[in-house]
This record gives sequence, structure tokens and C-alpha cells, in this order.
Amino acid sequence: MIAVFKREFLSYFRSPVGYIAIALFSFLSGYIFVNNFATGAVNIASEVISLRSFFVVIVPIITMGLFAEDKKRGTEILYYTSPIDLFSVVAGKFLAAFCLYGIMFVNVFIHMIVTKSCDGIVDIGAWGSVIVFFFLAMLFISIGIFASAITDSQIIAAIFSFIMIMVIQLLSTISSLAGNAIAAFLSMLGVASESSNSVGEAITNGINWLDPFAKTSDFRYGSFSVAPLVFCISFAIVFLFLTFRVLEKKRWAKS
Amino acid sequence: MIEINNLVKHYGDKKAVNGISFTVEDDEVLGFLGPNGAGKSTTMNIITGYLSSTSGTVKVNGHDILEEPELAKKDIGYLPELPPLYLDMTVLEYLNYICDIKQVKRSERKEQLAKIIAMVKITDVADRLIGNLSKGYKQRVGIAQALVGNPSILILDEPTVGLDPNQIIEIRKLIRTLAKDHSVIISSHILSEIQEVCDRVVIINKGKVAAIDTITDLSKRLAGSSKLLLSFKGDAKKIMNEIRSLPGVSDCKIRISDKDIHEAEITVTGNSASDIRTSIFYVMSRNSSPIMEFRSLDPTLEEIFLSITAGT
Ligand SMILES: Nc1ncnc2c1ncn2[C@@H]1O[C@H](COP(=O)(O)OP(=O)(O)O)[C@@H](O)[C@H]1O
Ligand SMILES: [Mg+2]
Repeated sequence: MIAVFKREFLSYFRSPVGYIAIALFSFLSGYIFVNNFATGAVNIASEVISLRSFFVVIVPIITMGLFAEDKKRGTEILYYTSPIDLFSVVAGKFLAAFCLYGIMFVNVFIHMIVTKSCDGIVDIGAWGSVIVFFFLAMLFISIGIFASAITDSQIIAAIFSFIMIMVIQLLSTISSLAGNAIAAFLSMLGVASESSNSVGEAITNGINWLDPFAKTSDFRYGSFSVAPLVFCISFAIVFLFLTFRVLEKKRWAKS
Repeated sequence: MIEINNLVKHYGDKKAVNGISFTVEDDEVLGFLGPNGAGKSTTMNIITGYLSSTSGTVKVNGHDILEEPELAKKDIGYLPELPPLYLDMTVLEYLNYICDIKQVKRSERKEQLAKIIAMVKITDVADRLIGNLSKGYKQRVGIAQALVGNPSILILDEPTVGLDPNQIIEIRKLIRTLAKDHSVIISSHILSEIQEVCDRVVIINKGKVAAIDTITDLSKRLAGSSKLLLSFKGDAKKIMNEIRSLPGVSDCKIRISDKDIHEAEITVTGNSASDIRTSIFYVMSRNSSPIMEFRSLDPTLEEIFLSITAGT
């Protein structure tokens, strides 16, 4: 695992990908911070929360090549013909992308230090947002890695993970739209409005249950709980395991 | 030693490999010959554990590739059709990475890499990016990769394809060196490509074994008929007739070109190919026809298949 991690992490800096991701993140976080700073209302928690909107761009950039490139170049054969086991390959790549996020995030830590040194406040809510950010990063990176494993085109991998992450970010909107639409549909069919509304509500709640943003929304107020974090980790493990299965399956290629 | 027993691989409805069996003895160099699409790469991918077979078994030094994959893979070095190179790494970084994933002990690494690098002659380019190397050097790095971990068996899938003639000679020389202390399977779709390095050949076609033979026996069988190519200037019709009437010549086809150089393809029966060249020279000399080119033609795979099936 360490070997794969090391190679993938270093290869971010042998190509423009690592630099682009870091530059993009630095620019976005710097822009938000400076704007807040100018108004005298620095709020690290809200800065970190704004930065979450850019998972949808940055995660596809840093994960699209992880497996797709191996397949295109024929280097994936190394994983199958050496004694290394495939899950540690997946884990190594995951860790490389996660660490790249860690490096990008140094920006925010610098902003924290600057805020502190200007007698600003870095409260428990800021730390809560940081924790949530990293757990969400795990979740989204696992999706990006899965996307990269199911195709040998980086572009398709990027589009796939972009859509998946977009859907998750819009989950609260999607859930109420879906709930309302189904309630309306049922009442159109003549179902009593009380029961059609409760079906709609159930659907909204059901979809919301999947929403990692809603689950972790209390962290910014300093109210921590373990369950949402376990949810994120489980979600990531499921996608990493699916990735592993996809790689295993390749051996049995039928097409 | 590798024992391959009744290997079958389906891709959907297509049978890429259809019941292949053969063994490779210790320190033997085995040629694996077949036209494009015969199933060579598929077979090699199964032997090395990259693909799973639909049915059949592969044993590497007694270890089944599916049941004891670690032990089996440890003994195999593989150069696939497309060398598995990371273009963004230097040669040395890459080989160290290969040591990592093949779990070569740290204490042995330096010595082993030094030996490999000297052997495949990539010392000069050790610190260069693989992406900037010539095709011949890339192929060497691919072979170096296969040698990491000191496997006793090397599997090389068309190692000289796409190289220029000089590079081909160099790679062949390297393979001959490696053959001294490794078992080697080397695939090709051209007989002459592997004739000099191999002890035995397995010839496959359409996923099935067509013949397994030693190189000497195969050459004997093929000696039954051989072909010569002759380019010359002069009266094509007259010369064709004279060559045809020579004893030992069974056929002579001539392509008459617009220019004044004609090409004749002469089929010779029996072992008289070398003698007939003398007679042909005198024919040309009597007719004062200058010889522009005169050489023997390698049998094509189709001709090999024909003579194999004719013999049995
Ligand atoms: N991934 C695949 N999917 C479907 N068919 C394949 C695949 N790989 C190879 N084949 C088919 O299997 C046959 C054998 O291919 P291959 O083993 O590459 O032959 P060779 O190496 O002898 O040229 C060919 O007809 C090829 O088209
Ligand atoms: Mg092939």
C-alpha cells in the first residue's frame, strides 16, 4: 500500500494535476478569506463550508487518472502479476488523493493562524467544520476512485464523479422536489391529501437520510457526534470495496 | 517448470484459447508461435495471473496460479505486449517501485538493481525519464522490470515487435544471455524471429495447439520445400522457362514489372535449395542477365501450417 501511495502521491507533482488542484484551492480559499477579512467578519467555519462547494470540481480532477491512466498505459498489469493485493492498491490511491487534499488544506490552517494572530476568533465550530470537511473529502474521493476504475477514459471518469458529487450536494433539494412531486402525483390519482402528503414526506426523509451534509450540519455549532462520521466512513469503504470488486472482476473479463 | 493443462478462455462467445496444453522444462527456451489473434497474449496473461481462465490449470514450479498465486507469481517475470511503464518516472525510480510492489527485501535491492541495470545495459539512462527514451530502451526497461525479484521464469510477449533492425539484434542478444539461466517463453508471429534462440516451439492457431516440436525437427519438416526470391534484368519469359526446367524446381512465378527489374519466386523441392542456386546462377550468366537480388524466403506461417498438416 505504501508503495502505491508513494508513487501516486509523487506523480501528482510530476504532472500539472497536483499544482492545478493546489493553485485552485489556494485561490478560492484565499479569495473567501480576504473578502471576509476586509469586512472584519472572519469566520473560518463559513469559509470551510463554502469551500465544500468545490469538491465537485477538485475531486474529479485529482481522482480521474488514478485507475484510468493505469488502464490506458497498460501498467495495471503490474498489480495483477505481482504479489501485492488489489485492496491495498485501492487504499494506496485513496490515501494519495486524501493527502493531496491535506496539502491543499494547509491554506485554511494558515488562515486560522492569521486570524488568531489578529485577535480573531477560531472557535470550536471552526474545528467542527474542518473535521466534517475531511470526512466529506473521504466520501467524495472514494466516489472519484470508483469512477476512475470503471472506465479507461479520464474524461468519462471525471464526468461520472462530477455528476455523482453534484447529486449528493443537491440531495436536500432533490429530496424535497421528489417528495413534493410524488405527493402531487398521488393526489392527482385521487389519494387523500393526508396520506399522499405523508408518502411524499417519507420519500423526502428517506432521501435525506443519505445526505451527508444534513447529517453533519450541527458540527459547525460545536455539537459533535460520532454517527455522521461513521456514516461518511462507511460510505467511503463501500465505494472503495466496490472499486476493489471492479478490479477483481477484470481478471474474469468476458467482453 | 510450467505445466499448462487444457487451458480455455472465452471472451463472451469467442473462444480465444481453446484447450491449450504444454509444459516448459527448467532452463528451456520455448518459442510460442502463432499468427495475430491466435491467442498467444491471452495464454500468457493467464499463465502470469493477469487473467483468469475459463477452465484449465497452470502450475508454476508446482504451484497453481489460482490456488497459490503468491508463490507462483514470485517465480515469473513478465514482459507484456505493451510494456507496463510509467512514463513520468525515471528508470531508477520505476525499478525501485517495481522492487516495492514485488516485495524485494531492502537489503537485497541495491545489489539486485545494479546487476539488472548492467545486464540489460541501461546504465546510461538510469536517471532519465522513461517517457523520453527510445523504443528500444523502453523495451529494455520493460525487460529489467521482468527481472526484478530474480524470477526463474521469464515470459516475453513479442519482445521485438515495433523495434528497428539494430534494436532487434540487441534485444535478441540480451534474450540469449538471459536464456542461459532462466526458463523463457517467448512469443512471436514470425518463425525466424525466434528460431535462433529457442530449443522448442509450440505453434498455435485459432486458440489450439497446431504443433509442438524441437527447432531441428521443425526445420527438417520445413526443408521439404523452400522458396527463393530472385530479382533480375533481362528476358523474363525465357529465363522463367529455363529455371523451370532445372531439376528440383517445382515452380517459378515471375512478376514482370514496368521497369526492367523482374522478380521471380522459385519453389524448390527436396534439400536442393543450396545446389539449385549454383544452377540458377549459370542460367542467368548464360543469358547475360544481371542479378539484382537473390535470397531465400522465410516460410510464412501459413506455409508452416500447411507443411505441418501435410506431414501428419
Ligand atoms: N479483451 C478482449 N475481449 C474480446 N476479445 C479479445 C480480448 N482480448 C483478445 N481478444 C480476442 O482473442 C483472440 C486472441 O487474442 P490474443 O491473445 O491477443 O492473440 P495474439 O496475442 O496471438 O495476437 C483474438 O481474436 C482477439 O480478438
Ligand atoms: Mg499478442
